[in-house]
Amino acid sequence: MTEPARPSAPFHMAGVDGEPPRLEELVDRRALTEMILSFELLFGVPIRILAGSGTSLAGGAGFGPLCAVVNEHDAGQTACAAILSTVRHVSLPLTSSHPESGFVPRSGPASSTMARAPSDPGLHRCFTGAVYRTLPIEYDRRSIGRIVLGPYLPIEGGPRPLAAPLSTAPGGPPDSLFAADRAMDEGAARAAWPRLAQADAATVEHLGRHLTTVLDVILFSGHKALLTSQMHLASIQESYRELCEKNERLEEAYERLKELDRLKSNFLATVSHELRTPLTSIMGYGEMLAEGVAGALTEDQAEFVATIRTKSEQLLDLIMSLLDLSKLESGTAVVRVTRLPIGDILADTVTTLTPSAIKKGVEISFDAPPDLPSVLGDAERLRQVFLNLAENALKFTPEGGSVHLVARTAFEQSDGEPGLVLVAPLRQVIEVRVIDTGVGIIEEERDKVFDAFYQIDQSSTREYGGAGLGLAIVKRLVEAHQGTIHVEGNEPEGAIFVVQIPAARHSVMPNSRRSMPPIFG
Amino acid sequence: MQLDFSAREVTVKLVYYGPALSGKTSNLVALHGLAGADTRGRLMTLETQDDRTLFFDLLPLTFRARDGDVSLRIKLFTVPGQPIHSATRRLVLQGADGIALIADSRLSETQHNADAFFDLRENLRTNGLDLAKMPLVIQFNKRDLPDIRTEAELGQLADRGKEPVYLAVATKGAGVIETFMGLLHLTWAQLDATHQLAKKLSIDGDTLLTHAAQKLGVSTPFGDLLARRVGGTRPRSGR
Ligand SMILES: Nc1nc2c(ncn2[C@@H]2O[C@H](COP(=O)(O)OP(=O)(O)O)[C@@H](O)[C@H]2O)c(=O)[nH]1
Repeated sequence: MTEPARPSAPFHMAGVDGEPPRLEELVDRRALTEMILSFELLFGVPIRILAGSGTSLAGGAGFGPLCAVVNEHDAGQTACAAILSTVRHVSLPLTSSHPESGFVPRSGPASSTMARAPSDPGLHRCFTGAVYRTLPIEYDRRSIGRIVLGPYLPIEGGPRPLAAPLSTAPGGPPDSLFAADRAMDEGAARAAWPRLAQADAATVEHLGRHLTTVLDVILFSGHKALLTSQMHLASIQESYRELCEKNERLEEAYERLKELDRLKSNFLATVSHELRTPLTSIMGYGEMLAEGVAGALTEDQAEFVATIRTKSEQLLDLIMSLLDLSKLESGTAVVRVTRLPIGDILADTVTTLTPSAIKKGVEISFDAPPDLPSVLGDAERLRQVFLNLAENALKFTPEGGSVHLVARTAFEQSDGEPGLVLVAPLRQVIEVRVIDTGVGIIEEERDKVFDAFYQIDQSSTREYGGAGLGLAIVKRLVEAHQGTIHVEGNEPEGAIFVVQIPAARHSVMPNSRRSMPPIFG
Repeated sequence: MQLDFSAREVTVKLVYYGPALSGKTSNLVALHGLAGADTRGRLMTLETQDDRTLFFDLLPLTFRARDGDVSLRIKLFTVPGQPIHSATRRLVLQGADGIALIADSRLSETQHNADAFFDLRENLRTNGLDLAKMPLVIQFNKRDLPDIRTEAELGQLADRGKEPVYLAVATKGAGVIETFMGLLHLTWAQLDATHQLAKKLSIDGDTLLTHAAQKLGVSTPFGDLLARRVGGTRPRSGR
């Protein structure tokens, strides 16, 4: 099967925005003809429905025997054609007031049809003595076609039982009939004349009103069906276009992921195997040495071995951090989203660090209001974030200083933003500030601290240890939670790390991944 | 917008956007009920049995003071709010001249309202339109229900926001005209600025709008109608 052509431009729906609908689009001709026939049967008047262009869409029995006689010769034919052309094309005024239905009952006496002035544009006289009555077919206040009633002989009299046969023909044919064509077969014409349809004004008015109302319903339904099918088609095309685009994007993403996956497995395998395996041996042998498995150690030897062991531990930590960072960067880290009370995480963090804080003579505390909204996130990862930040703060804070963790709710929004009133309540964020009284970070360095392997200055590495991966990891983790992190200065001394993470909202179900879109896209 | 010089006719397309069941159709139904017989057309609802607003609703309104005057034809559309009908929403949005975002005031619907707004922005972008340039009003409907966002909060935010915000109980017809007139006003101003409609057709926009409001059965000057938005104490530069 060949692939269907992809629609490039969005489908345009003519019926919805474009031109007003045309009569021929809204009706089924055959069904309309059936309806017309039944109306003719009921009212005894010939009926024809014309499109806006003047073409006939449906008609009943049509012209009777008299018309056949008239059309036998050229002159009669011409005269008849002239009348019909007027009937088809003469412009009709729109119904003035036009509520939803297509036809407003005309007020006035029932005989108004005949009482109209000769200039009545809806009434056309034929030389046979018959008349045609035309009515506009309106849709959405526009004329889209016309109804032609006739030819019929106008007769006097009020409403009569529908379809009751008329016994008497009114008078005889007018002279104009024979004047139209000298070649006309007069005998045949006289015989045919009484067989013209006959109707009184009230009946014609009645028929017109009825037909207009019924047509209006048909047109409305037809238009509705037309729009429905157009919309259906358009929706399908549009959905198809969308699917094609999505498929393309998915395919690209899939290729990228495959590549990443290959790289990742290579890198991770290398790192964990090639580095960790020998390191494990070093650590194992170091431990055995320290335990005196190879004989008692001198004091110096014991001290050297201890250093080897500490540095090995540090190296292992570094390798693990590198692994972590590479996982985060390649998007293969698993983040499990649940609804989390951030206060609990902060309390945990402080509890964990309290022993080392006491040992260092640094005060550590936290402050989180009880009504703090939850966040959606991975508990382990967020714990890692705050533990890392607090640990850092502790590390750089001298004895007698303090480390303080504060959480609060804040809004993230800017005035004049489109849709602010709709969007603002969702922009609620939880802000956690990790405040220390340590050495601080000068302003120019504040953005750089989140770069991998960054150190404020080389000396601090030696003094404080660490390879500068912690904050790089922290930043990526915060971003994975749709959050932000930045550094401010503390007065008079120290640094403040400010983390903002979107608050979870009521309508979002817990454990939903919905507001955590592609984590590391 | 379609401009027919010979018929002196302007056709404007307005779209009522918003999450499912926020009251878009109710707005149209209310407008239909309020409009005079010579103004309103039939309200067309394209729906199926199992999915209430599968396609869209369409209400045509025609404002015309006297014979020979300019006819202002409004095509009022709603979109289906269900996420699945994104394609249909995009189609209905084609050629829109102005948009009313109908939001559900209930706190629980806050996310859906915002989602609808983001969806609107995205679908406009797909159609090559910029939300920032689109005449837009926001209606907070269902003010009669409990657990709704407070007027004070909405007012505060509306003040700081860009769009006029109206409160409504669409099922009772409250706030419906204000929203519509607010949208029509913004839309007219924008169309006039881009197409010099008033000049080309030698009409006065304010007269046209005042007349439209009358045809919807309100005698309040339309300036007062527009002022019934929430907040809005801050003067707005460039509407
Ligand atoms: N209480 C209340 N209900 C409303 C209001 N407006 C709409 N509704 C109801 O909300 C439901 C959805 O309304 P509808 O107009 O069909 O929403 P649509 O899907 O946006 O077109 C219906 O049951 C309405 O009766 C309102 O202002 N107050």
